[in-house]
Amino acid sequence: MPSRTLLTGNEALALGALHAGARVITGYPGTPSTGAIESLLAAAPPGVHVEWSTNEKVALEIAAGAAWAGQRALCTMKMSGLNVASDSLYSVAYSGVIGGLVVYVADDPGVSAGMCEQDSRGFALLADLPLLDPSSVAEAYQFVRLAFDLSEAVGTPVMVRLVTAIAHASAPVEVGEPAPFLEREPQLLRDIARFTKAGAAICMQQHRDLIARLEKAGEWIRQAGLNSLQITAAAGGIRHPKLGIIAGGVVSAYLEEGLEMAARFSLDPRSVSTLRVRAPHPFPSEEVRALLRHVDAVVVLEELEPHLERGVYVEAHRLGFTGRIVGKLDGTLERVGEYDVRHVVRGIAAALDLPVPPDLFAATTEAERLAAPRPITVCPGCPHRGTFLAINRAIRRAGYKRDQVMVTGDIGCTILGMNPPFDTVWNEVAMGASIGLAQGYVHAGVRTPVIATIGDSTFFHAGIPALINAVQHAVPLTVIIMDNGWTAMTGMQVNPGTAEDFQPPGGRRVDIAQLVPALGVEHFFVVDPFDLDGTTAVIQQALALPGVKVILSRQECAIQAQRRGRRAGVVRVVPENCNLCKLCITLTGCPAIDLGAEAVVIDPALCYGCGLCAQVCNRGALIHTSVAQAARPVAG
Amino acid sequence: MLDIFLIGVGGQGLLTIGEVIADAAVALDLPVCFYPYKGMAQRGGLVKAQLRLGRSAVGPNIPPRGANLVIAMEVSEALRAIRALRPGGEFLLFGERWLPTAVMLGKAAYPALETVLEQVRAAGGHPVYLSPDSLPAGLPANLFVLGAAVGRTRLGNVLPAAAVEEAIRRRWPRDPERNLTAFRAGHSISI
Repeated sequence: MPSRTLLTGNEALALGALHAGARVITGYPGTPSTGAIESLLAAAPPGVHVEWSTNEKVALEIAAGAAWAGQRALCTMKMSGLNVASDSLYSVAYSGVIGGLVVYVADDPGVSAGMCEQDSRGFALLADLPLLDPSSVAEAYQFVRLAFDLSEAVGTPVMVRLVTAIAHASAPVEVGEPAPFLEREPQLLRDIARFTKAGAAICMQQHRDLIARLEKAGEWIRQAGLNSLQITAAAGGIRHPKLGIIAGGVVSAYLEEGLEMAARFSLDPRSVSTLRVRAPHPFPSEEVRALLRHVDAVVVLEELEPHLERGVYVEAHRLGFTGRIVGKLDGTLERVGEYDVRHVVRGIAAALDLPVPPDLFAATTEAERLAAPRPITVCPGCPHRGTFLAINRAIRRAGYKRDQVMVTGDIGCTILGMNPPFDTVWNEVAMGASIGLAQGYVHAGVRTPVIATIGDSTFFHAGIPALINAVQHAVPLTVIIMDNGWTAMTGMQVNPGTAEDFQPPGGRRVDIAQLVPALGVEHFFVVDPFDLDGTTAVIQQALALPGVKVILSRQECAIQAQRRGRRAGVVRVVPENCNLCKLCITLTGCPAIDLGAEAVVIDPALCYGCGLCAQVCNRGALIHTSVAQAARPVAG
Repeated sequence: MLDIFLIGVGGQGLLTIGEVIADAAVALDLPVCFYPYKGMAQRGGLVKAQLRLGRSAVGPNIPPRGANLVIAMEVSEALRAIRALRPGGEFLLFGERWLPTAVMLGKAAYPALETVLEQVRAAGGHPVYLSPDSLPAGLPANLFVLGAAVGRTRLGNVLPAAAVEEAIRRRWPRDPERNLTAFRAGHSISI
């Protein structure tokens, strides 16, 4: 029996895939897409293989293999991950699929997770793949089920795109009956003309087939009515010409609110026809033409790039439509950030010259300027704190100024080294990019040492090929792998380097400490970032050595360790030694240290006992006892 | 229709309040959309969320000057929610302070409580101030603030306290008492 349940967009999408009979589900963590696989791993559905893969390209290839063997498969990623997976995605698109293959990608307009405002609808265009763009959490559930049906009806991978405002939002979802479990025997189909790219004739035929599948998908989408056109009967007139609104994905959820609001400024909602586009690719030409034939002016509302709007111009040209087209290309609306009801009202007002007061939504930002700045930093007990402090010290002790030594950065928690109090890391590009970037700086002729920093999951994801490149070309470089044992920033996912206990049943841990020497790295060191002097000395030594040096700075993420009741030690304040110089706070920025009236105070609820504060204190005001020492019987 | 903007810092349990309200709304068959902003959420970092109650077809974002109710749990962060407040709306401020490191070091200023309340009034809002001193010892602040929101703001017109208590029981089925006590303490407080 259908039931109404509060779900996030990610949960709704994952449940929809499960109910559609997906048998293989793969992905790589990336906000805002992470929650989909997280919810499935928590549910552990029997008979379904769910995994976090090494990277998105691997994840897609696994899902494609399963679909080629006839099973239904889902692959999940954020938009940055789609870039990684795209090489295989284009190729798989040419071959088509046997079992349904759905690629879920989450875009992040408004940048809640600090990456590009990439519009993945453009990927569908490049890859000639149908793309569904649900406008609500409830539709995320329905549409992923439809996507599997479409995929198998046409024999093509289908993309489903959610934006953060749907992926992270929760709303009631009508959950339907699961499809009967698809007990399919895997099939082995040998078809060189379809599953290889051997020769121009084969590839061009695949290209023709791909285009034909896309057209067929367009027809399927039209029949399913995924793009809903509502033409009003009311006449327009000179005062109020007939208006058409085309809204893409989540933006169509704001139409009702926008029309109500515009009605306060003399809009007659009965004169408005709407086209809600929830399947933007292939372009819904017929529906757009039907709308254009009926209206005098049209507003196109979509977040990010003007994908739909450009298509509307094409159809307008073909029809000889001479009315106004309001959107991004005429300068009314922006290509940056999330949309809300403001954009609906602004579009309508521009199309109809409605007297909307310019200050309708103009909120003052004066109050915000009075708020205290709150830059994010690493958590209490974070091992990266020790690594950043050690890098900064080693650079100075090696005789350089901080602005003379390039420290490239990577994705994940390690990028927090860009912020105060460390200010260690200089740049951030993509997963694994720090090691390649660093080589570029060396080849550019930089004569001071170049350091690359990278996290463990990122190293597995895309850092290894770059390190191999450095070894092959003997690039003088210090790579610091900051290994906290988890894919931490996205919420603690297991990666190949996570401890054996947390690996999937029968799975094995891949130890970075064994991997790096196997890559031909001659100078390899393993350090404990909670040992500030030791880590500093090793980095300083490495900076002076020739060739590729790799330092593995290893200590488990404190958040995860604390969840299992672990602590590194205990820090005690000796108030009579503290002169409130604040050096411990200035250098470590640790949120567990507070200022008391006469001495600093350690918050025992926050302190992990890493002891870095005690190591930077030069007055003996902080005493650290490690767990191992604390466990020892006190002598005498 | 009630649009609520929530703001605070990571570790206060702000998103939990939003989830409890959303769950209570679903049980009452009241349309709801809850949109948390997690960003790179961590203890002590900015957390905000938007709750839209009572409209079935609704986008997750509340426009600037659109929220009838703001629930703020940190004095300085409250300033970042003033742009969301609708003139005539209510602004529940729990006066806890989480000092950023730069403030502790004397390198950045921290706003005075009165400044925040003045800004709320200047935006046409009605401040409802809840002192951290009124929180009974040992009880979770977030459920206390939720209680005050139901007892002292228009949220109570939409969600009866009994419905929220049911949602609290569903959320902590094994041991709801501590959270219920905090909720009731907030609900019965006179501000």
